[in-house]
Amino acid sequence: MTLLQVRGVTKEFVTRGEGTMARKSVFTAVDDVSFEVELGETLAIVGESGSGKSTTARIAARLLEPTAGTVVFDGQDVTRARGKELASFRNNVQVVFQDPFSSLNPRYTVERIITAPLTYQGITPKGGRRAFTQELMERVGLNPDHCRRYPAQFSGGQAQRIGIARALAVNPKLVICDEAVSALDVSIQAQVLELLMRLQRESGFSYVFIAHDLAVVRQISQRVAVMNRGRIVEVGTRDQVFGDPQDEYTKTLLAAVPRINPEWDARRRGKRAS
Amino acid sequence: MSGELFVVDNLTVTLPTSRGPVDVVKNVSFTVGRDETVGIVGESGSGKSMTALAVLGLLPRGARTSGSVRLDGAELLGRSDRDLRSVRGNAISMVFQDPLSSLNPYYTVGLQIEEMYRTHRGGTRRAARRVAIEALERVHIPDAARRVDHYPHQFSGGMRQRVMIAMALCCSPSLLIADEPTTALDVTVQAQILELLGELQSTTGTGMMFITHDLAVISSIAQRVLVMQAGDPVEYGTAEQVFSDPRHEYTRMLLDAVPRIDDEVLS
Repeated sequence: MTLLQVRGVTKEFVTRGEGTMARKSVFTAVDDVSFEVELGETLAIVGESGSGKSTTARIAARLLEPTAGTVVFDGQDVTRARGKELASFRNNVQVVFQDPFSSLNPRYTVERIITAPLTYQGITPKGGRRAFTQELMERVGLNPDHCRRYPAQFSGGQAQRIGIARALAVNPKLVICDEAVSALDVSIQAQVLELLMRLQRESGFSYVFIAHDLAVVRQISQRVAVMNRGRIVEVGTRDQVFGDPQDEYTKTLLAAVPRINPEWDARRRGKRAS
Repeated sequence: MSGELFVVDNLTVTLPTSRGPVDVVKNVSFTVGRDETVGIVGESGSGKSMTALAVLGLLPRGARTSGSVRLDGAELLGRSDRDLRSVRGNAISMVFQDPLSSLNPYYTVGLQIEEMYRTHRGGTRRAARRVAIEALERVHIPDAARRVDHYPHQFSGGMRQRVMIAMALCCSPSLLIADEPTTALDVTVQAQILELLGELQSTTGTGMMFITHDLAVISSIAQRVLVMQAGDPVEYGTAEQVFSDPRHEYTRMLLDAVPRIDDEVLS
């Protein structure tokens, strides 16, 4: 089932030129982008800085309105949704951001943060907020006894787990991860990636996974869209895009990824296996 | 001359905190030879940047150090700030992660390179300007004679990092400390900067201390590797040994955690 359809989306930003008398100019951050996300799959959008991947994610999450094009979720055109319609969209689509500390209110307890989407939706959880929070904390690998703590009392990896728990509070059909593991140390990153994949297996929702790190994308996605200068230059299954890239830019991008010396790596693994 | 270009021997850095002094770098030892790149790798809080700052006497106020840091046999630890100022940017220079915050937005890049050069080498402004243009040419900034009069914001991230490298190398240092120099860059730009550093090293023979959290980057640039964890040096050896036959559990865990681009996929 097609869960999300982004059709011909364009986003222009008006920028001021240099000097006081300069004319306004228009910068096209996203240029006629279309893609679909099936229920239960992970679509990764990769690209370098300025490629428009985050803007695309924000439009898909209805955090930004596109200049042109439509966003269709679950058969409903939500491009200009307002009020109740938008609230019901937010009940199904949640976002996990890159920097957990700037996306968690430092003066709120974990319980208040995690139940915030419920407050917005006007839902009272069965069994009360405390029990609800603790259950979710457990699900994302946090100690439920810490539900009255504040974000600053957690490490970066733990704080990202709080962000993930908040996204899951409304039991969404789509979770948009905007560079959700980019700020984490590599060992923590591996754990959070595993958590994201486990949660998807348990609940069957979809991810739109925005990232600049191709190696990370390869771990988590089923399909990959490559963006460059506001356009999707290539989209395909993970193995197509990584194994047999068609677009020149995709090839350049893949070739530039630093690799651990494969000979050394193979020797290490040989030793470990024996 | 006996021994290595640069020797760090049993370096310990202690920072005062509200809960008493904490050793953020504990008994770290390594050496860097001419023409050699030593990679220091670790996760956040491992003490890798503190090690670099200690070398140049740039630690936060109240920090204490012990051990020995020697460049060409001369001790650097415990030297006065004034003394170190003649070393910084001259015999040892540094490239940081974020070029935009290391460059002064109010001055053209040319003026900043000229200032650096004249502080250490003196000479006329005219001569220094020639050095600046040559330095920019050396890091392959196109149209260097014109770009020398541009301000930092007029350069892209990768070009700005090239400016930083040009500045770091203008006094022909014997040691270059690069602290996460490619971390803020896009992967295609990162590849270009790594190539540039390798190329410059082979022509100048500068020793390099390369700090990063990225094991794949280390693997492509360093001949020797020091792995740090929470201030402890957990493993030190040739890059080949550390990557192909890691002795320490932490190194193995770190290597296992790195996502691969052309290899098996997790779960």
